[in-house]
Amino acid sequence: MSLLQTTGLRASYGQVDVLLGIDIEVNQGEMVVILGANGAGKTTTMRAVSGTIPRSGSIVFDGHEIVTQNAESIVRLGIAHVPQGRGTFSDLTVEENLRIGAYIRKDSVESDIERWFETFPRLGERKSQKAGSLSGGEQQMLAIARALMSRPRLLLCDEPSLGLAPLVTQELFGVLKSLNQQEGLSVLLVEQNANLALKIANKVYLLETGQVVASGDAESIAGDERIRRAYLGG
Amino acid sequence: MLKIKEGSVVHWAVRVACVLAIAIFIVYIPTHSETARIGQFASAFTLIIAAMSLNLVLGYTGQISIGHSAFFGIGGYTAAILIRDHGWSPGYTFYAAAIIAFIVGCLIAMPVLRIRGAYLALVTLAVAVLFPTLLRWKKLEWLTSGAKGIDSVKYDKLPVWPFLGELKGRDGRAVFAYWLGLLVLVIAFLICRGLIKSRVGRSLIAIRDNETAAAVMGVNVTRTKVLIFGISASLCALAGVLSTLSTGVVTPDGQYVTLLGSIIFLLIMVVGGAGTLSGPIIGGLVYVWLDNTTRGIGTDSRGVVGFIFGWTNQSPATLILGLALIVIMLFAPTGLVGLFRKLSRRIVTIEPQGQ
Amino acid sequence: MERLLQYVFDGLSFGAIYALLALGLVVVFRGTGHLNFAQGEMAMFCTFIVWQINDWGVPLILAVAIGMLFGFALGAGAEATVIRSVAKKSPGGVFVVSIALFLGLNSLATMIWDRAEGYTMKSLFPNKDVDFVRILGAEWRYKYIGVLIVALALMGLLFLLFSKTKFGLAMRSVASNPESARLVGVPSGLVLASSWGIAAAMGALSGALVGGINGQLTPSLMFAVFIYASAAATLGGLDSPGGAVIAGLSIGIGEQLVAGYAPGWIGQDLKLSVALILIFVVLLVKPSGLFGSLKVERV
Repeated sequence: MSLLQTTGLRASYGQVDVLLGIDIEVNQGEMVVILGANGAGKTTTMRAVSGTIPRSGSIVFDGHEIVTQNAESIVRLGIAHVPQGRGTFSDLTVEENLRIGAYIRKDSVESDIERWFETFPRLGERKSQKAGSLSGGEQQMLAIARALMSRPRLLLCDEPSLGLAPLVTQELFGVLKSLNQQEGLSVLLVEQNANLALKIANKVYLLETGQVVASGDAESIAGDERIRRAYLGG
Repeated sequence: MLKIKEGSVVHWAVRVACVLAIAIFIVYIPTHSETARIGQFASAFTLIIAAMSLNLVLGYTGQISIGHSAFFGIGGYTAAILIRDHGWSPGYTFYAAAIIAFIVGCLIAMPVLRIRGAYLALVTLAVAVLFPTLLRWKKLEWLTSGAKGIDSVKYDKLPVWPFLGELKGRDGRAVFAYWLGLLVLVIAFLICRGLIKSRVGRSLIAIRDNETAAAVMGVNVTRTKVLIFGISASLCALAGVLSTLSTGVVTPDGQYVTLLGSIIFLLIMVVGGAGTLSGPIIGGLVYVWLDNTTRGIGTDSRGVVGFIFGWTNQSPATLILGLALIVIMLFAPTGLVGLFRKLSRRIVTIEPQGQ
Repeated sequence: MERLLQYVFDGLSFGAIYALLALGLVVVFRGTGHLNFAQGEMAMFCTFIVWQINDWGVPLILAVAIGMLFGFALGAGAEATVIRSVAKKSPGGVFVVSIALFLGLNSLATMIWDRAEGYTMKSLFPNKDVDFVRILGAEWRYKYIGVLIVALALMGLLFLLFSKTKFGLAMRSVASNPESARLVGVPSGLVLASSWGIAAAMGALSGALVGGINGQLTPSLMFAVFIYASAAATLGGLDSPGGAVIAGLSIGIGEQLVAGYAPGWIGQDLKLSVALILIFVVLLVKPSGLFGSLKVERV
């Protein structure tokens, strides 16, 4: 069943149109990856879905039309966005970062905090440090854990591997994969590292200058010669 | 919507018409209006120069100074002291004031410009608060005449040319201040324009956008900033000299010598458009107009103002000025020049050549 | 020794007031990165409201509470209606708007409360000639003790709000990273308006305290206090509430000491100047105040 469905999604920065009508669909429990070159509109798509930029067209999430809603209410509906560059609160401690991640929840959050400290032991060791003092990989883990604190049904993850060492990236993708497969969390992922992304994705969209130019399940995209040559380096 | 080709006959005609209209206006004021009006324009010119000097610092390096009233005061006092105590001719005091303010400006800038943003604003605010106290200080009374200030500062008579407006028994000081103010304004404008179009100017803009990047590109950030602060201080001092010459008085309580002065210069710059060459000019004219119009609203006003403010026996002038400033910022957040450009683009577009 | 103690004690009371107003500046600066130049005038206006309500027969302590609520509404309202929409488009515009608020509030107060000789303001605390205790030889007047206790108590409450409550966490998150704060569902508009509101409410209290100490109320009530408070905020570091408190108290004490011990050639006039020059020197050594954090910029 479709969890997120965008139809003719458009967005622009000032006079420049960045999204020219994007149609994508994320089903319940799916891991969907958006691939594309720099400037293709990947990040803009994510921002349009989470409501941080003005946009038009249609975005249906879980039966609700959310294209007119602002970022604050979209979080409440169950979409959590891990922005590019992580967006951690560098002046707050690691634990405070997690607490603020659960801002929309009214119930007790202690068990969730424990849980993410178990999943990411390095965060637990540094729970009273300022987030700004963490390494890049730790900040990315913190950003993801913070997003999950709101118990979302859809996680938007924008280039989590940016600037990370290969080993750290693999660890991170391992966590994303297990969240997706074991807990049934739906994920929409933007990724530059296409080879890595294709390994864990169910479905792939290929963006070029603000439009979807190809889509399909991960195997067929990975098998397509033209796409291989253009995007996957051989 | 009108479209005009750049360099076409129409374009030139429009340009010539604009220049002519401004020229006629400039000559009309001192020859045909009453003394008070001439004085208002003279004080507008003074404020415009002060706002331009701030614009150099803020608009082109992104630094805020709330201390420029001190440089204004240095100019004003230099002129008054040299003319009264040392018998200087008014014209030469401009050079002296500019040099003194440049030196003081650089001396202040060297340590202070390490401080940034809001901290710099508050530190320069301290300079503005300190300056009048220094003027009033007993130990300096031999120089500054203390709290009562210096009055009856002489001015020069202009050569009697009819188009200058000296005829018809007009107040010589106002007309003198008007033309002198205009002359200094044009010079200050050309200096600012030259600075901005030059290599130094481009490095200034580089500083504003990204200081670290500018340093990497080989711009000597500290030296450029100190130099600009010094130049800005001396421009502001010129405005101070003008003010002394046009009013004949300078005191530690004079509104442009105190913190209020710094605030007014900043208001003018932001209202006109920070970081634009013509911003201070528009801002200064609009501010002086607003200030005089609201000041004219007395407590016995009739009509709408009387109806709204009939309950008080105090003048609502400052309240209306405040409200007007808020309205301007709501409709023209980047300044009146920005608003004007936006509006005029809807009516006329100038098409660049070769397209 | 008695003299020294007296100066220190009087200084602490004045310093507590500067600290209250300085905290207001810091709360706004942390939340929005702007300096509210109208902070002092908002406080002055609220103090007149307090006087007016008290004059109508409401007990002073209740009047102060209402004045603080009014202050909250004034600050939050100014942020939500004008400041926010201007701030989005031009940072310089916020300066103009805060100056415009300064001018407008001052003028409005002059128009409404137009008695030239000012108004008599009652103190919240016993204020007769005999209302003091003598500790170690110094006179500790009840009104000064009261001011100190109230100011410190409010600061304590504020620290609890910042560090222990969800709302405080939300405020700090907006200050740290506004975009991410929106992404986790923090209603940033509400938070920003509240920071301005809280700042103005603290200003209202400091105004009522200053008025009570002076015994007199005029529209220029807060001019000098605002200069001292902004000096305290700068000295302590604009983003450090703890710094504002320590700096406020030190400036209060320093002011009294300079006034008391300074050689005759400096004179009373230069009292303020000495304080400002000291701050100047501190900032040259530490450009973002004693306790402020230096933001590291990435290219």
